[in-house]
Amino acid sequence: MAARAPGGLGTQPRRARSARGRAALWLAALAALASGAAGCGPGAEPPGVVTVRLVVWRPDIPEAWERALALFHARHPGIRVVRELGPSSSSELHALLTQKLRNRDRSVDAFIMDVVWAAELALAGWALPLDERLPPAERERFFPAAIEAVTVEGRLYGVPFNTDAGLLYYRKDLLAAAGLEPPETWPELVAHAEAARAAARAAGLPGAAGIYGYSGQFRQYEGLVCNMLEFIRSHGGRLTAPDEPPALAAVAFVRDRIIGGAAPRGALTWAEQESLEVFKSGGAVFLRSWPYAWAVLQDPAQSAVAGRVGIAPLPRFEGGPSTSCLGGWSFGIHRASRHPEQAWAVVRFLTSPEVQRLFAVLAGKAPARRALYADPEVLAANPHFAALRPVFERAVPRPRSPIYPQISYILQRYLHAALSDPASDLPALAQQARRRLERARARLGR
Amino acid sequence: MRSRERFGYLLLAPALLVMGAFLLGPIAAAFVTSLHVDTPFAPRRFVGLENYALLLEDEAALGSLEFTLLFVVVSVALEVAGGLVVALVLDRWRRGQGLVRAAVLLPWAMPTVVAAVMWKYIFNDQYGLVNALMYGDALERYQAWLAHPLGARAAIILADVWKSTSFAALLILAGLQAVPRELLEAARADGAGPLRRLLWVRLPLIRPAILVAVLFRTIDALRVFDLVYVMTRGAPAGATDVLQFYGYQKMFPEQQFGYGAAVSVCVFLLALGLSLLAMRLVGTRSWAR
Repeated sequence: MAARAPGGLGTQPRRARSARGRAALWLAALAALASGAAGCGPGAEPPGVVTVRLVVWRPDIPEAWERALALFHARHPGIRVVRELGPSSSSELHALLTQKLRNRDRSVDAFIMDVVWAAELALAGWALPLDERLPPAERERFFPAAIEAVTVEGRLYGVPFNTDAGLLYYRKDLLAAAGLEPPETWPELVAHAEAARAAARAAGLPGAAGIYGYSGQFRQYEGLVCNMLEFIRSHGGRLTAPDEPPALAAVAFVRDRIIGGAAPRGALTWAEQESLEVFKSGGAVFLRSWPYAWAVLQDPAQSAVAGRVGIAPLPRFEGGPSTSCLGGWSFGIHRASRHPEQAWAVVRFLTSPEVQRLFAVLAGKAPARRALYADPEVLAANPHFAALRPVFERAVPRPRSPIYPQISYILQRYLHAALSDPASDLPALAQQARRRLERARARLGR
Repeated sequence: MRSRERFGYLLLAPALLVMGAFLLGPIAAAFVTSLHVDTPFAPRRFVGLENYALLLEDEAALGSLEFTLLFVVVSVALEVAGGLVVALVLDRWRRGQGLVRAAVLLPWAMPTVVAAVMWKYIFNDQYGLVNALMYGDALERYQAWLAHPLGARAAIILADVWKSTSFAALLILAGLQAVPRELLEAARADGAGPLRRLLWVRLPLIRPAILVAVLFRTIDALRVFDLVYVMTRGAPAGATDVLQFYGYQKMFPEQQFGYGAAVSVCVFLLALGLSLLAMRLVGTRSWAR
């Protein structure tokens, strides 16, 4: 467009003056438009009302947000919350948010942040420290891991909203038909999956030939890191030391027994949505997913297996601990915000017991506040929360680093290479990944 | 004469300004950025060509260069060859000419992101068209095409060929229609069969059009991003990583602006070098005949 306007000037030399006049008119119109657009912003408010702009993902249950914000506006007539909806994928929201923060975009007052972003946002000087606003006594009401995730070098940069942890969903009917209990260990899971499939085929269950044993997230993306953290930690290994024997053995197990074994090779292209799709259409015995999957699976309108699904902690390896990857979201405040006080009112409200309860009931989000796990309303909507509270309590964070996106990318490439090639030279790949991790860390200081 | 010249520059000025502001400016800025370490954690620091030196030892970057070049060579070759065939057919097609040409151009008119989503579904491991056509109801034989290095690479190249063959066809068709009928009739009168007429009359005359098609497609293919972003994001294990996507990864998710800018500058230099080469081929030998 911009290229066309001056070109138009050039092609009409004789009418240059009138064209110039027209250009001036256009400019005037543009200016009017721009000031009009600005008028829709802070200028258009009734006096005394402050707009707080909140960057947040596009919600899957919009109703919960609408109810929460209506409540907030009723109680705080002096503040108006305007949401800027970003992509629901964590990595894509991260790209959008960091762009805005990097440009010191004043239109961002508060933002939602993934559990792995705090170190980066804090060290870059983008997030406002909140220590004075949330005293230690208040912090104790949240899961310690969730608070630790938003604490960087001793200072607090966010308030936890919900917590996430990897869970094992299983088909109660298929396991019962084979006379099996939910598995305790990963090798047991593989054996159970095989037995349950065999039993389903023997019973002549329709579509039994197409049932997979296991569904999870093994695409080359952030979720792969979470899934593999769970396997590696439950074998006593460390994600950031991929070349140590316990980690290597866990990766080899997934490569040999899960991918192309209990799960199809296609799992290498699955993220949350694809893996849930397979399970909810009745296509798998087991599914590893986050707490949100429960609400979807229990909804007969969306799920072919409603009422036939059980939930358990993830399996472990012999001698290792059952490990769930810590996920979840917090709210932070932009350091360059012109309305930090009002932004704090919004953050405080959105992380209050009341709103966390609302999101637990309406959207199946697991609260970051511990007391809500004894709340009758929350438990009525999510009966499994009571038994799973220890899982949330023990969830293991991913590596904490301001360059987490780099660390994650190195791990994703390594893990995907290791899993997608059945003949991969694991130790060599792992050593290479470790060297890359060390190089990235060494460069951070520069 | 003098004032005429000045008037000419005056007329050019707006276009030059726009080019400068929106083309040269960003390129210069990217080059300057590529000479710095530019992360959110420390003030920007000048490091000279260090980013480029690191790039030369970066296996992931070299891997994406390799696939980018493979992608360019294979997809451009298929697109231009296919485009030639399509153009030859369209050149003779009489019935419903406008409609047929519009239909052929349809893939080109479709936004790449939309086409990429479509191809991603076509190659889906659970309900993709490719699996349904090959294996029908035998669900257990369904393949995860995008999980195999070769399959994922082929899928991305195929998506590009599907989309851009029509563009090559359009350029070549324009060349074909400029071939003087008399020459073809003279050749026929001299007893040349269809094949000889194609090889010795048409092809030499449409060479410039073919070279333009090769040039445009090469530059465009070098900058491939959207197909990879939507279909594979570089998976499996970086097999379909291309330079532009790698640069994006460094710049936006990882916030390494200096390093990412160095990748972009390399893509720019590659495209510039190829364009200059092709301009020489097209410009001097064929058009100035």
